Amino acid sequence: MPLEQSLGEGFLTTRVDAVVNWARSNSLMPMPMGLACCAIEMMAFAAPKYDVARFGSEAMRFSPRQADLMIVAGWCSYKMAHAVRRIWDQMADPKWCIAMGACASTGGMHRCYGVIQGIDNFLPVDVYIPGCPPRPEAVIHALMDIQEKIRNDYSVAQDYQSGQLPEGRLPQGSHVVTPAGDAPSKLVVHP
Amino acid sequence: MSSLPFDFTPVDTPGPQTPDNPHAKATTNCPDAVSALQEQFGDAVREVVEYANEHTVLVERDRIVEIAEYLKANHGFTYLVDLGGIDRFTEEERFEVFYNLVSITTRKRLRLKVRTEEEDPVVPTLSRTYRSANWYEREAWDMMGIRFEGHEDLRRMFMPEDFEYHPQRKEFPLLGIPGSLPLPAQRPGGELTMDPFAAAHGSKPIKSYEETSDTDDA
Ligand code: SF4
Repeated sequence: MPLEQSLGEGFLTTRVDAVVNWARSNSLMPMPMGLACCAIEMMAFAAPKYDVARFGSEAMRFSPRQADLMIVAGWCSYKMAHAVRRIWDQMADPKWCIAMGACASTGGMHRCYGVIQGIDNFLPVDVYIPGCPPRPEAVIHALMDIQEKIRNDYSVAQDYQSGQLPEGRLPQGSHVVTPAGDAPSKLVVHP
Repeated sequence: MSSLPFDFTPVDTPGPQTPDNPHAKATTNCPDAVSALQEQFGDAVREVVEYANEHTVLVERDRIVEIAEYLKANHGFTYLVDLGGIDRFTEEERFEVFYNLVSITTRKRLRLKVRTEEEDPVVPTLSRTYRSANWYEREAWDMMGIRFEGHEDLRRMFMPEDFEYHPQRKEFPLLGIPGSLPLPAQRPGGELTMDPFAAAHGSKPIKSYEETSDTDDA
């Protein structure tokens, strides 16, 4: 039964956080930082066959001001790092980063003087994708991981008191767990 | 394949000297140009090597421009396909520069070589004779440190401009010199950082790429 029929002229109540996160996670705009061969798979990920429009991320934004998800696809040289970091700095918060492929994650097979051994040396990476190159499904999986991360994050509540989380507002059954396996007593708020 | 009704690629016949060598091509065999060079330039042609039907001519470094111009004007070698440096890692005449020339009219390919010393590796530029030499020479300078005299824009091609080494030289470590290439700052306008590899060697960023920085007035 459609929602409007079951509710009639009623209304729904929800948390602002939930609505904002729902909207945010389903409208991620990727900044395609295609640096090498992996960028070809990134194009397939956005193209009709794999159709990332199902997840609301089909709008690749070539301007960092309009993007909130950077997909670094390919190996990054030391010279390029300065440009990548500059683009990252120009992206508006909140923003996320995917290291796509073995090279972006670890340097991959390019163990040499010119290539950075993992872009996490200068960028805060949220999701790493293994593979050389990863299949578009793997990139979609990474995107879904980012969506999950957004949905389990605080968006509005974190502004409640200068970045401090309000007491007793931890999500029930949160997906966010510490490496030990238990829910954190205090969420880490992005500085 | 003989079943093809036409030859869209000209069939290359093996040369006369090495009929059994499958790699021998008639296009790389140009005795006319080589003998003309020997006649015209005498001692400046130091050595002619013929291997697998290919002619490679080692010439005097100081006369390379003259020789290239002569070949371009008289033998149709109007196209410089490639140029690069070789580190021979020898005591004498350590660096070598090769020039691959193509004559489109006569369908010939010829390779010239010059050698230079390690202390002051200088070779006259060919960028005025062949404009394609411009970027090739910049690459050879970047990677090998061979200076091309008279090149009007000899900047590095691949590495950052303030990089201090020439990474394709044989003594350069494959993994690089720790700390020679700084990573970007963690926030805009901040201090440059180092990767863990360099940091483990005690390197600190010594340079800044910020335009406004006052350490950057060199
Ligand atoms: S991981 Fe493989 S496909 Fe991707 S950039 Fe590296 S070498 Fe290319």
